[in-house]
Amino acid sequence: MTGPTNHRAIRWLRAQLPGLVAGGVITSDNATAIDRHYREAESRATSFGFVILAVIGSALVGAGIVLLIAHNWDDLSRSTRCLIAFLPLLLAQVMGVFVLSRRDESPAWRESASIFNVAAVGTAIALVSQTYQIQGSLADFLGTWLLLSIPVVYLFRTTFGALAYMVGCAVWMVSRAGWSFNRPGQMFFWILLLLIAPFCVRVSLRERNGWRFRTLSIFLMGAAAVGLGVTTEFTGHDLGGVAFAGLCTTVYLAGMRWQEDGPRSLNVLSVLGGLGIAAVAIVLSFEGSWHLRTGSVWNDLTVEKAMGVGVALLFPAMAIGLAGWDALRGKIYYSIVAACLPLLAVTARLIAEVAPVNIRRADNPYAFSAAVLFNVYALALGIELLVRGIRVGSLARANFGLLVVASLALARFFDSDFSFVARGIGFIAVGAGFLLANFFFFRQRMRA
Amino acid sequence: MKSWRLFIFVLVALAQLAVPAWCIRMRTQTLGKGRLWKFRTAPVDPVDALRGRYVALAFAAEKVPQAERLPPASVAYAFLKEGSSGFAEIDHLSATAAKGDNVMKVQPGAWWDGSQHVDFPFDKFWLTERVAPAADRAYASSTRAQKQNAYVTVRVLDGDAALEQLYIDNQPLPDYLRTHPQP
Repeated sequence: MTGPTNHRAIRWLRAQLPGLVAGGVITSDNATAIDRHYREAESRATSFGFVILAVIGSALVGAGIVLLIAHNWDDLSRSTRCLIAFLPLLLAQVMGVFVLSRRDESPAWRESASIFNVAAVGTAIALVSQTYQIQGSLADFLGTWLLLSIPVVYLFRTTFGALAYMVGCAVWMVSRAGWSFNRPGQMFFWILLLLIAPFCVRVSLRERNGWRFRTLSIFLMGAAAVGLGVTTEFTGHDLGGVAFAGLCTTVYLAGMRWQEDGPRSLNVLSVLGGLGIAAVAIVLSFEGSWHLRTGSVWNDLTVEKAMGVGVALLFPAMAIGLAGWDALRGKIYYSIVAACLPLLAVTARLIAEVAPVNIRRADNPYAFSAAVLFNVYALALGIELLVRGIRVGSLARANFGLLVVASLALARFFDSDFSFVARGIGFIAVGAGFLLANFFFFRQRMRA
Repeated sequence: MKSWRLFIFVLVALAQLAVPAWCIRMRTQTLGKGRLWKFRTAPVDPVDALRGRYVALAFAAEKVPQAERLPPASVAYAFLKEGSSGFAEIDHLSATAAKGDNVMKVQPGAWWDGSQHVDFPFDKFWLTERVAPAADRAYASSTRAQKQNAYVTVRVLDGDAALEQLYIDNQPLPDYLRTHPQP
């Protein structure tokens, strides 16, 4: 059974069954089958609630142990303090063996044991470091912690552990980059993130419409976005726009390929990708997005920076490859305008690159041309989303198209030299568009 | 299915125990066999001095005159020498690994005014919760520009550096706090 469960309705229906059998509406076999079906649905919901409570409980217990030991008891010798630091870890490991051998089928036990283990590993390393004055950056500490925790995610099949791991990856990247974004070793982030990818793929194959896949997708895209932002800053070649256009379009196209519930409902990847595409289009419509650095030299890249450029360009290449492959097979199930975002971003970036070095940092005709290109693109995207929404009868998608147009109008309100009259007319036109589209939608629905 | 999961988990558990155990072993070795060096601490912004339960340390010796910037890398090796005042100074830096009781791993930083700046592998002195605020006040007042009388002792062996004690007015921090109660 997919979709949300109405527990009150289920309880009501199960209570009605004896009456329905007595009245001869359904047979007792039918009643038993219906009762069994809804009992299972209710037990699944109860199990999910238990998982959440178990995770919160084990996290609180873990945090309490950390605070008690981190007090750094004055009276204890260095070696005694170290022995105590190992105790929660040993306890978590014994619990892990118990769960894997006796409670492996229980998600609540697996989630609790893994959260406790991951917390205990971090505690042990931190306390030993503190006791022996072992220094090192936050990134070093997090990197070790992440590498020791990732096997736990797979062994215990823990969703919350995977979410914590992805947050940890993003924090590691920001901490590794520092304020200058120039420290070496940052590209290791992509290896760390890649380590969690098979887990996400496994969940996607088993329950594409479940909460686990939705949550993992949101966190994975968030971590990838943080990593990509830092990577493009690290390379120092103003590839952020192109890279983010590629990331969002790849996610959108992957989501559209997995569309299984018909054209009216979108899965989490399509929604995340679509939102990202709209946001990138609006951001790139500002002329400032196309002001380039003056000192970047392409043939003077270190190996790691060259890897960063490779990662930044990998996403647009993947998006263009996905869209092109499906177009060649004649299966265009996606918005063509949305799929064109990486191509547009690359074109605009090339236009901006033509600007003479001494004027790149400020407003210049090339940056202006790139921004104009994206203004036209964002308008076309909004209109296409609106039309697609109307075509499939989706009010949300049609309004999203209008929202893109409205955001574009709002963006120009702030950074253009149009007169107040022109801006006013523009806003009235967009607002009237919202009202008209929704009016026609509701009339259509009333008729249907 | 269960048995291979259990087997891998046991291996993972051993690795989880081995990492902190290895840290302890390394540090014990350096503290036991390493040569003792004294590093004079530099003034530190009192507002940033205490973050959590440690005192933030800064060092005057974290730079060395050098004509060119070190190539970007995560690690460099500082060769230490004892200055005329008895405190440690960097003699020279090297990008290649070396052994000895005067070699310490450092992180290369920026280069300006003919000096290569580096970050020492110790910038915090962990404290117990009880003495942390008093220690912070004592350390901050001892590292002001007019009154620099704080230093740390560090054991160095084959690139590893183990922070041993923070001294104020030639007294270990716990003794200093006992004889100079902070308001």
